[in-house]
Amino acid sequence: METIFDLRDVSYTYIRRFEALKNVTLSFKAGEQTAILGANGSGKSTLLSILNALTYPTSGEFSAFGTPIKEEVFDTLEDNEFARFFRKKVGFLFQNPDIQLFSSTVFDEIAFGPLQLDLPPDEVQKRTEEVIAMLGIENLRDRAPHMLSGGEKKKVCIASILSTNPDVLLLDEPTGGLDPRSQIWLIEIIQDLAKAGKTIITATHDLDIVEQISTRAIVVGEDHTIHVDCDCASVMSNLDLLMSANLIHRHMHRHGKLLHEHLHAHSKEHDHVHEPGVV
Amino acid sequence: MIPEWMQKIEAGPCACCTVSIGRKKGFVQKAISDIFTFFEECLVNDSIARRKGLLQSLDPRVKLISMVVLIFAVAMTHDIRLLAIVYGLTLVFAYLSKVEIGFFLKRVWVFIPIFAGIIMIPILFNVFTPGDALVTIANLGPNAHLGPFALPSVITITVQGTMLALTFVLRVATCVSAAVLLFLTTPRDLLFKSLRSLKVPKVYVLTMDMCYRYIFLFADTVRGFYTAKKSRSLKSLPMIEEQKWVGNRIGYTLIKSLNMSEKVHQAMISRGFNGDIKILQRYSIHRRDYVACVSVFALSIFLILVSQNLVKI
Repeated sequence: METIFDLRDVSYTYIRRFEALKNVTLSFKAGEQTAILGANGSGKSTLLSILNALTYPTSGEFSAFGTPIKEEVFDTLEDNEFARFFRKKVGFLFQNPDIQLFSSTVFDEIAFGPLQLDLPPDEVQKRTEEVIAMLGIENLRDRAPHMLSGGEKKKVCIASILSTNPDVLLLDEPTGGLDPRSQIWLIEIIQDLAKAGKTIITATHDLDIVEQISTRAIVVGEDHTIHVDCDCASVMSNLDLLMSANLIHRHMHRHGKLLHEHLHAHSKEHDHVHEPGVV
Repeated sequence: MIPEWMQKIEAGPCACCTVSIGRKKGFVQKAISDIFTFFEECLVNDSIARRKGLLQSLDPRVKLISMVVLIFAVAMTHDIRLLAIVYGLTLVFAYLSKVEIGFFLKRVWVFIPIFAGIIMIPILFNVFTPGDALVTIANLGPNAHLGPFALPSVITITVQGTMLALTFVLRVATCVSAAVLLFLTTPRDLLFKSLRSLKVPKVYVLTMDMCYRYIFLFADTVRGFYTAKKSRSLKSLPMIEEQKWVGNRIGYTLIKSLNMSEKVHQAMISRGFNGDIKILQRYSIHRRDYVACVSVFALSIFLILVSQNLVKI
């Protein structure tokens, strides 16, 4: 499989004081589904931002599709063929939908990407209508973003990146703030996109969705370094690793009169299995 | 560990506690509730713009240009009868566009005392508009002066002054009615895009569009600040403290908005934005748009000709 992103010893420091990522060496291949796991503030969002060429490493090297990513390539007023190719190829779902939904109606929001691709107006219209139909959001078509619920906003955010048909999807906490039904809807969409061959990189601390949407897991520790990079099942069964990364915690509660303690993730309320005869 | 003081449960207030009902709202509370009334009205307006009425069925560009031309013509008209007819027409169009007349009148006339009334009050008196007395206000006697200015011996409201004030108020009411009708019957996004037909640069259209979108978000943030403060306020604070709090929140909102604008820009870049603004305009002009445009232009030309005494009525 072709390597699409390659990071070599990448570090990122905010305002020269606060370290967000430290000595990260990773590569992502086309068609992979990867989960980046980490506690709040571990640097997951910064990593996605670097992968989307919105933030540039303070040190180290980052290349995408075999081309080194430099600030000068993207932050220029001159038209740049590679920058256009990259933006077409990579879609980014932001954690906060209000950042992503900047147009005045849902239709305009979804049409924004295709318009940037310089597609003819009829094609933009057709694509936008098709994405709206695909996600079943016809009833939201002419609504303003401030009139949408959290789940609806997330649907429109996804529609807005799918309308440019990116091959790589970077999802930042996609299930954050969603009710269970919207979460299931989102997981199914991600699974469908994975089946269609899209590369999906998801930053999350929602352990419930990890195995459903990814095959590979990368754990970013609170020291902003990569702790583990392997298959999902191994990461999810390594409770010590998850605890050291602050993704699960030791939890104490009662079963009748018996006090009981075990490792516990808070994403599903008190969902755990007891070994026979042990409480 | 929970500290000891936190483990104490206080008893409820004594049954004999005085319940006082304040009559005045604080200035912050009043300002915020007024802002939210305005935003709620904006949402109502948006639903009016989606109704199937006469003006809603017209092309937004035609509506915008027609209204601008009509407002220009009305501003030049001095004949009170013509102004009354045009004002009556705005009411008819409001009715045909399924805008509740009571709501429409309220929206228009709330501005009139502010824009026209205060300005026109002096014009009513013979001090500024000499003429036939309608109502006598005061008898000052001969040689009355206000500083260096000589005043008439009798202060009256004159017929001419009243007609002048009425004409001005009606002219303002007609212009405001036309503008309000345009805003009420056109979805905001289409209205902003139609500004392109008046050659307004794309960057201004995009900026206005985004301002309108984010003003709701920031209004919600401000409401959050105030609600959070209210929920933890045990007693009223002195005015100076309230003002300090407002100043502090304004600063915080500014920092937050700067931070957000940077992230929104990143979101735009992420989806291919490179500084070249592209706007999808989905307009189709029908026969009714031509008819509306020609009718409004004809009426406007007629009003201008009458105002310039080129046509006598």
